[in-house]
Amino acid sequence: MIAYIVNLATLVAIFGIAAASMNLLIGYAGIFSLAHGAFFGIGAFAAAQLALNLTPDLLLAFLAAASLSIALSLCLALPALRVRGEYFIAASLGLQMFAVTVFHEAPSLTGGHGGLAGIPQATLLGIEVGTPWRFLAVAAVTLVLSLLLIQILMRGSFGRALMAMRDAESAAMAFGKNIPLLKTLAVAAGCGLVGIAGALYAFHISFVIGDSFTLEQSVLLQAMVIIGGAGTLAGPLVGTLLILLLPAALTFMPMIPPTEIGTVQQFLYGAAMTLLMIFRPGGIAGQSVGRR
Amino acid sequence: MLFIQLLASGIQTGALYALTAAGFALIFGATRIFHVAHGASFVLAGYAFVAASALGLHWAAAVLLATAVAVAFGMLVDLLVYRPIQRHEASFFTVFVASFGIVICVQALVQFQFGRGSVAVSTSLTRSAELLPGLYIAPVFWVAAGVSLALFTAVSLFLERTNAGLGLRALSENPELLRAYGLSSRRLSALAFGLGSALVVPGAILTAATTGIEPAASHRVMLISIAASVVGGIGSLRGAALAGLMLGVVENLVVLVLDTQWSEAASFVVLFVFIVFRPSGLFGKAVTS
Repeated sequence: MIAYIVNLATLVAIFGIAAASMNLLIGYAGIFSLAHGAFFGIGAFAAAQLALNLTPDLLLAFLAAASLSIALSLCLALPALRVRGEYFIAASLGLQMFAVTVFHEAPSLTGGHGGLAGIPQATLLGIEVGTPWRFLAVAAVTLVLSLLLIQILMRGSFGRALMAMRDAESAAMAFGKNIPLLKTLAVAAGCGLVGIAGALYAFHISFVIGDSFTLEQSVLLQAMVIIGGAGTLAGPLVGTLLILLLPAALTFMPMIPPTEIGTVQQFLYGAAMTLLMIFRPGGIAGQSVGRR
Repeated sequence: MLFIQLLASGIQTGALYALTAAGFALIFGATRIFHVAHGASFVLAGYAFVAASALGLHWAAAVLLATAVAVAFGMLVDLLVYRPIQRHEASFFTVFVASFGIVICVQALVQFQFGRGSVAVSTSLTRSAELLPGLYIAPVFWVAAGVSLALFTAVSLFLERTNAGLGLRALSENPELLRAYGLSSRRLSALAFGLGSALVVPGAILTAATTGIEPAASHRVMLISIAASVVGGIGSLRGAALAGLMLGVVENLVVLVLDTQWSEAASFVVLFVFIVFRPSGLFGKAVTS
């Protein structure tokens, strides 16, 4: 039971980082990427390859995962600079679908349909941190650091410029903000951070496979942010907790057959997304919209 | 001969994509709503047809039932979801998320009722005949091509020749002015949703009759519809249909040079390239965002 809770808490921390990075894009920069699951996967595969071939050092894995994600984030920045709204969603969708195909069909990089198994336990500065409790601590510290970083960034001029861009792009441009640079940086920051979450995920599960980083994963990350409340610090965490604890809570409901839990969970979060958008578009932690 | 064979199956797939995408483009063009739950209409129509056939209904009755389900679903989503959202906030992303939520719900419900796997209706239409040496064409090819052509012509005529069609086109250009003329934009948007959703029916039924339909098909349909609409130029019915046809053909022809697993990715590369280099699509107006 304790092991189960520790495992769940570690997952909450990892997905908390991923959701916070998604929030950086959706909530602060107004970039509605549907390819976040792909970048989560890119980080995970980078860390897995590093751990399998060179060293299981966590800091190096973070570095590798973040730099690869940031480098590839240019693929997402390109359409973000060119188009907005529905067009960008469509472009990120195309990118996500293409990435999944690559995950499945490039066995030398990603292990193909079999995935990469047997990722060794992580070490941090030479100390083994692979045991459940230690890894939970590492993940929790990473989560706190990422949230701090986001908070500091968003309080500063970068964050204010991003939010200005989100709310009125032409006004921000008129005030002399370099919109293309801001967008590229925002996309790089969001993708780099989710890459780090992916690295943690790879070490935690010790098995990565393309199936974990599909469109569903992207939507799940979006749902965490939107249900929790986009553009707030606590929102993504609230959303992550709700979405990850829901299936755990459903396991203890006697009337639902265990095989249907996935389906029931899916239905509930789909319904939550729709109903929230109708009645409270700001999310749970967000401000409710006043009636006009 | 392999080329012609692949071209033929590409046209068959593409014809159905074209209709589905035209439905999506019709809804988007008239109402400016990015109706990603279009894929859910597809799945519901397909399953309605399968369920009706399993009950032993005549195929025409099953087609009618499927159409009724798709039309009712499209109009209900408009009435119960999009309209309340647009009343307080018109942000496109709010609408998108709500619509996506519906896709997830429908998929879960269909899974719950019919299971995860794909279901199919067996017909004699799929039995191939050798038309030329090495070229196999099943009757379903002619059905797909014929139905698509007929329906597309009918919808185009409807949009161009009737008052309601004129209203739909006016709605996409200037809803305020439309209201000033005393036409109801609500009724017209309901019409757009009904008509657009009805266009998924041939694709849904023929998919159920050939490869089989599964709950997760909604994602694919949504992706193809979005891709075709963007490539064709958002809002352009003709462009969406042509691009849908093209995507179907590309998807099949890609097999000549690459492994089959890459065929789906090929359509998304086309989509991505179009968005980055020519966001207005084939027939669209220049993007002013």
